[in-house]
Amino acid sequence: MKRPHSLIDDLEAADSESAVAMATLISATGSSSKKIGARMLVGRSGRLLGGVTIGGCVDAQVIEAADALLGSGDRRLLAISLDDDEAWEIGLTCGGTVEVMLDRIAPRNDDDPLVAAHAVVRDVLARDESAVVVTTLDGPAAALVLTEDGVCRGTLGSDESDVIAAEIASQVAREGSRVDTIAGRRYFFERHAPPTTLVIIGAGQIAMTLTKLARELEMRSIVIDGRDRYATEERFPSADEIRVGMPSEIVASIPATRRVAVVLVAHDYKYDVPVLRHYLRAPVGYIGLLGSRKRGAAVRDLLREEGFTDDELARVHTPIGLEIGGRSSPEVALSILAEIVAVRNGKRA
Amino acid sequence: MTLFRAIVLEHFRHPRNRGALESRNAEADGANPLCGDRIRVQLRIDDGVVTDARFTADACALCIASASLLTEHVRGLRVSELETITGSTINAWLEGDPPAARRKCSLLPLETLHRAVASRAIE
Repeated sequence: MKRPHSLIDDLEAADSESAVAMATLISATGSSSKKIGARMLVGRSGRLLGGVTIGGCVDAQVIEAADALLGSGDRRLLAISLDDDEAWEIGLTCGGTVEVMLDRIAPRNDDDPLVAAHAVVRDVLARDESAVVVTTLDGPAAALVLTEDGVCRGTLGSDESDVIAAEIASQVAREGSRVDTIAGRRYFFERHAPPTTLVIIGAGQIAMTLTKLARELEMRSIVIDGRDRYATEERFPSADEIRVGMPSEIVASIPATRRVAVVLVAHDYKYDVPVLRHYLRAPVGYIGLLGSRKRGAAVRDLLREEGFTDDELARVHTPIGLEIGGRSSPEVALSILAEIVAVRNGKRA
Repeated sequence: MTLFRAIVLEHFRHPRNRGALESRNAEADGANPLCGDRIRVQLRIDDGVVTDARFTADACALCIASASLLTEHVRGLRVSELETITGSTINAWLEGDPPAARRKCSLLPLETLHRAVASRAIE
């Protein structure tokens, strides 16, 4: 199965490098930063993977520091102001600061604590579970991995630190990555969660674009249809899975978690109604139905007759997607994914 | 509303014999590859007689209505009597002929039922 782009993929891609500088965005103030935990890998050969900020000005400084690190330097924490002089002169200052941890890792060395930690994370994510990785920010590199079933791997150097880290990690698992302090020393707590899984019912044009964009958004995609001439690898090269059969039976075999987003784009009640029957009482994070308000109301009425409540029916986003005025299939796909991201980030109910 | 339409909607909204048949000893899946109808027909056949029949489907109203009526009518029939059921029989149960473009929808359950019986004969 193909996976979305991730640090794990980046590490694998960097595997041919004997030494790699790994830059990790651990904190940020201001409005222009990437998500905490964003990474860039800089190879000895000059190869770049990923990025720690949206713009290029900070990344350039990080690359310069990474090159120095690969020469002879030690791991270090970079604090970089976003008030770049030149940007300020022309009135484009972003404001704020970012902290970037710069480590030297040996991708082929399993004894490297950071490499070992991410190998554990890879296994955890493959099981569709979450983990928190705690890494030191000063002194030698050390890492502790705490999985959602309570298992600890690695150490921060002392049992006392590991115990306190485990307590903080349980908060981080709920609230997201952050820097925290144990006995006066700073540590980076990084949450790793499985990606959103996009369950797409209907293998038409909108679905084709959805799978491409989903990959860019680091979402898994599963395309489901009853028609084998539609649901093909040729039409869906970016899909993680393509499944042909009775859609209501196929969705019943997919774990329904809050990380699942269900997108009904067949525009055919023969699939919409039975699939909604399955998901309306399942704890998925998002349900969207393609169609007009009138069509959405008709489908809801049909399901209401079967005993579904108004609260259950209100979970269905229809018309699907944010209103961006899109008409073409790619535009509709974009609006759907925008709505899913908005719901996931708490910007939309 | 015509009687045909009323019957189709009634059986679509309140299908008889929908769901898995735990005691089945014959079954087959059917599909209309372009429109996407999918159906599974499951039978219990004892001593050459259909003692129970159920279906599962993600399909249009016409296909579901046809399956609903079919599973009602085949109970108690001998396997040899199933051959006498044709598209015309189903149209008679529906009190009308489906539009030409939709005939495959109404016939899919019957074709699938015949394959289910054949699978039993092979065993």
